[in-house]
Amino acid sequence: MNNLYRLFTQQKAIVAIAVILLVMVAAGGDVSRIFFSSYNLLDMLNSSTILVILGLGVTLTVIAGGCDLSIGGILVVSGILSIQLQNFMPMPLALVLAVLFGTLVGFFNGFLVVQQKTEPFIITLGVGLLLTGVAQQLSDAHPVPANNPDFMNISNGYQFGDGQFTEGHFPGIPNLVIIMLICFVFFAWLIRYTSFGRNLYAIGGDYDVARYSGINVVANKWMTLVISGTMAALGGVLLSSKLNTGSAIYGDFTALVVNCGVVVGGTSFAGGVGGIWQSVLGLLLFGLLDNAMNVLNIPSWYQMMLKGTVIVAILWMDSYTQKRKRELV
Amino acid sequence: MNKVGFILKDYLVLLMILGLALVTAIIQPKFISPANLNNIMRQFGPLILVALGMTFVIVGGFIDLSVAGTINLVAVVTITLIDPLGQVGALVAGLVIGSICGAINAGLILTSGATTQAEALFITFGMSTVYSSLALIYSGGSTFHFWDLKEMPNMFEAIGAGSVGPLSVSFVIFLGALALLWIFHTKMAAGRAISLTGGNKTAARLSGVPIERSIVLIYTIAGFMAALGAIVLFSRVTTASPVIGAGFETNAILAVVVGGTTLKGGKGSVLRTVMGVLLVILLNNCLNLLGVSSYMQWAARGAILVFAIWLDNRKEVQGNQL
Repeated sequence: MNNLYRLFTQQKAIVAIAVILLVMVAAGGDVSRIFFSSYNLLDMLNSSTILVILGLGVTLTVIAGGCDLSIGGILVVSGILSIQLQNFMPMPLALVLAVLFGTLVGFFNGFLVVQQKTEPFIITLGVGLLLTGVAQQLSDAHPVPANNPDFMNISNGYQFGDGQFTEGHFPGIPNLVIIMLICFVFFAWLIRYTSFGRNLYAIGGDYDVARYSGINVVANKWMTLVISGTMAALGGVLLSSKLNTGSAIYGDFTALVVNCGVVVGGTSFAGGVGGIWQSVLGLLLFGLLDNAMNVLNIPSWYQMMLKGTVIVAILWMDSYTQKRKRELV
Repeated sequence: MNKVGFILKDYLVLLMILGLALVTAIIQPKFISPANLNNIMRQFGPLILVALGMTFVIVGGFIDLSVAGTINLVAVVTITLIDPLGQVGALVAGLVIGSICGAINAGLILTSGATTQAEALFITFGMSTVYSSLALIYSGGSTFHFWDLKEMPNMFEAIGAGSVGPLSVSFVIFLGALALLWIFHTKMAAGRAISLTGGNKTAARLSGVPIERSIVLIYTIAGFMAALGAIVLFSRVTTASPVIGAGFETNAILAVVVGGTTLKGGKGSVLRTVMGVLLVILLNNCLNLLGVSSYMQWAARGAILVFAIWLDNRKEVQGNQL
């Protein structure tokens, strides 16, 4: 009984993924066949990659006891910048500058949250709002098209194959999946094997204790926001490349969904627990949910309701687990 | 000297935007024309009602992102109920739905044992999505107009466009709500308990303040006021769409924080919120008259929100040092 409780509270993502897979098997017939086809599975992985890339950076901030809701704003601004800057300079430089923009915003967030000790949830929400306005101004609230095939290839290309799905033929691995894997390995190493990563757990667990133990808490926590800003900008550039357009509308929902996805995986807003692996599972859950609902032909408004319900249920459970822990102590 | 600086910081945002109003009035004399002032008074309606409800949530140490969803849902349900239930019936039904939405938020937060603003933020965000999608499903995504109804709803028309003497009806509703909420907050035990809950939850619980009752009250008030705001809003534009409330949650939070109610909870008042809303509306009006694009107005609002929170936090830090 106790083990069952722990399974449900600590491995929310695995339980939820298992439930979705069971539903898809139970649906049977064409639905199952389409859902479990190699094309659909690869497509699902491919479309979750950007969420995962955003989530990797956010995980660090959440482990350190913070949060970053400005990533939606960074995503859209750097996505639009990466296309518009190409008019003035060669593509690689434009992309680097677009990513650096995220670093800069992250630095500013870090100043407000860590150095000035403001409440991270509200202040990053405000920064996100600001950036969404900037993105609309930059793009005049229209999608900005890109006309450089090289740029489009960054996200849409395949390695080790030609991307053709025919019977008995290996289609290759999408570039996005490769980029995601590289980022994943880097972050997993960062958090497991460097003193920076280990310090984050200490900071998230108890900020004051970490400070008295001689950890440079300000610098370390500041760094998490810089990293998460950079990753958000990277995600924005990749998204623009994938869709071949930059637009101000993609950011609306993303920030909260990514933060929820991180918590779903088992990283708690209370700080000090969690990991990269868990976050990836949590974010893949949202990709899986989207895909499953599309294959099941659920109308978009019902999809919105289901997603909202899932978010509430999971965060409710996160708070409830914290309460149980407090009561046990 | 220190005290002067403190008072100056307390009213810095007020001074800044008053300065902005002055500059606009000089550059663009239309600003103080009776038509524009009347326009400002009418804009006061929906936002102030929502922000008054939000004040209690923030004073209680929580936050409510679900008001946008509540407004969407109440607007479309109320307007479709005018034909079957009559105008008074629809009005009551709308207010009840809003209160129920708020009570559901409170129930979720109470049962999960959430004590921090962060937990409340995400739970209410999820509920906002749920309410908005319910509004879309209920309305089928379509927009309802007054002229589609069997007969013109003259009561709602009066709420939206009527006048009592020199004041608009929505302004009178606002004055009534303000008086009631101010008395509730400052003179009644239940209202005082909300401030105590926001100040320090542990201390409040240990000294016998019923924090559960406070949580239920703040979210129900926020839901009720959001519903009232939704009714005034769709009465003014004579149209209810399922996305009518978008952006209201951030504007309401902005107004409350700019007014000087602290996000840490415990300190603040509905009168400060009135000031905050006045500033937000003046700002929009100034930027419109100065010809700033609506996108840059979004950015400006975000910047002011960030600045106001930062300032609020500075005051807190200095207050602790005193």
